[in-house]
Amino acid sequence: MKLPPFEYVAPKSVTKACELLRKKKNRAIPIAGGTDLLMALKNRLKTPALLVDLHNLPRSLYRIAYSPKRGLILGGRVSLRQAANHTAVRDKYPMLVQALLSVGSPQIQVMGTLGGNLCQDNLCVYYNRSPMLRQTLEPCHKLGGKICHAVRGSKTCWATYCGDVAPALLALQAKIKIVGPNSEKVIPLQRFYSADGKKPNVLKPGDILTEIQVPPPRPRSGGAYLKLRIRKAIDYPLLGVGLSLSLRNGEAICEEANLALTGVERAPLLIQEAETLQGKRLEDKIVEGLAEAAYRRAHPVNTVCELTPKYRKDMVRVYVMEAVHLAIQQASKGGVL
Amino acid sequence: MKKVVTLRINGESYALHLRPSQTLLDVLRDDLELMGTKKGCDSGVCGACTVIMDGEPVLSCMTLAVRCQGKDILTIEGLAENGKLHPLQKSAIEHGAVQCGFCTSEWLLSAKVLLENNPSPTPEEVQTAVSGNLCRCTGYEKIVDSILAVAEGKVH
Repeated sequence: MKLPPFEYVAPKSVTKACELLRKKKNRAIPIAGGTDLLMALKNRLKTPALLVDLHNLPRSLYRIAYSPKRGLILGGRVSLRQAANHTAVRDKYPMLVQALLSVGSPQIQVMGTLGGNLCQDNLCVYYNRSPMLRQTLEPCHKLGGKICHAVRGSKTCWATYCGDVAPALLALQAKIKIVGPNSEKVIPLQRFYSADGKKPNVLKPGDILTEIQVPPPRPRSGGAYLKLRIRKAIDYPLLGVGLSLSLRNGEAICEEANLALTGVERAPLLIQEAETLQGKRLEDKIVEGLAEAAYRRAHPVNTVCELTPKYRKDMVRVYVMEAVHLAIQQASKGGVL
Repeated sequence: MKKVVTLRINGESYALHLRPSQTLLDVLRDDLELMGTKKGCDSGVCGACTVIMDGEPVLSCMTLAVRCQGKDILTIEGLAENGKLHPLQKSAIEHGAVQCGFCTSEWLLSAKVLLENNPSPTPEEVQTAVSGNLCRCTGYEKIVDSILAVAEGKVH
């Protein structure tokens, strides 16, 4: 598959990159690791006039820094593998490492960046197939048509969010920094996702995700990222569950819990009901209640031809319960600190 | 518009006029006739196009060649030195870890990176390291055995 023709530029400053992206509006696309974008180009899902390469941007975008007070700062250009190999990330955020090392293959982890992973496009049973297969069916909402092939009769696009890193970072209450041509803002990660299958995030032309900020782990905290898929490598999550919790000193009482899902909606889902665990003893009934709340929020559709949506939805309960048990085990052994 | 890019491949420098839309894989195979790097799925899944760039395994089908200026690239053609096979290559032959041969050149490179970073890997670590290289003959057992034999010093 040949790539479509495009011009290429690799600016050295964030400001310059933002300006170039804004000037060309939707005709320019930023490229970080390229593993998600090049497939879209090869399949002619995107045909930009200009690719703005982010790999010459300043060193701050490649930074990994941890302090017990401020927590973790990860530059947007840090590769998944660099983040997963970093001592502080391994020691303080093992759940994030599980998510990072579950992405694609070793090669994809080396190439893919954190910023790129968070910005990855939504997937569906029709949109991501070869141009040849797409030609045999009417174009869908995401391709400017009027129908949805994933959910028949739907008036909106149901392409599913299938990133692994976002649910882990959501459960860790991460924030992201977005730099635009004339602006810079830090927002909670959950506000980044639009739940619109056609355009999964709120980035505007000219915006670049430059930094991820993760608060320091609480004392006696534990977590788990569990991923449902057919093969242990390469596959996107058919369901991903990221969970982080902390326990009150010397007791099995929950101090704080955060839960997020992926692969089962148009955005990664932060399950607000996890907040209700606060101050409660984590007995089976309480954990089942959380699993039930997560189950109700999940809407898996035919993203792939493997495993039925019903099975994947049923597995939400099982995976949430398992994640809570693993997190409690880790926390009660003293936690990640 | 074409750009002049200098690629450093297997220790040799090549100055090339490249279109931004050329992948490293296409440049290796079509322009430099280094056919050891295979084109399988051409979509980042099978790993047949793996090369080592600055010490890490990457997919050349998902890499724009214009981004590789100044990078140190090793393809399978550069694995044997001075006509002498790399221990991993010898071990692959001794263990019969080659069936159709399509994935061989690429898992060898993934294995090379693994052993450089982790000289005594467990069988699970070996499996993970080559998990991005699909073997359509499903000959994984012998692939893993042949890599472990090198790590254990059984093949020099």
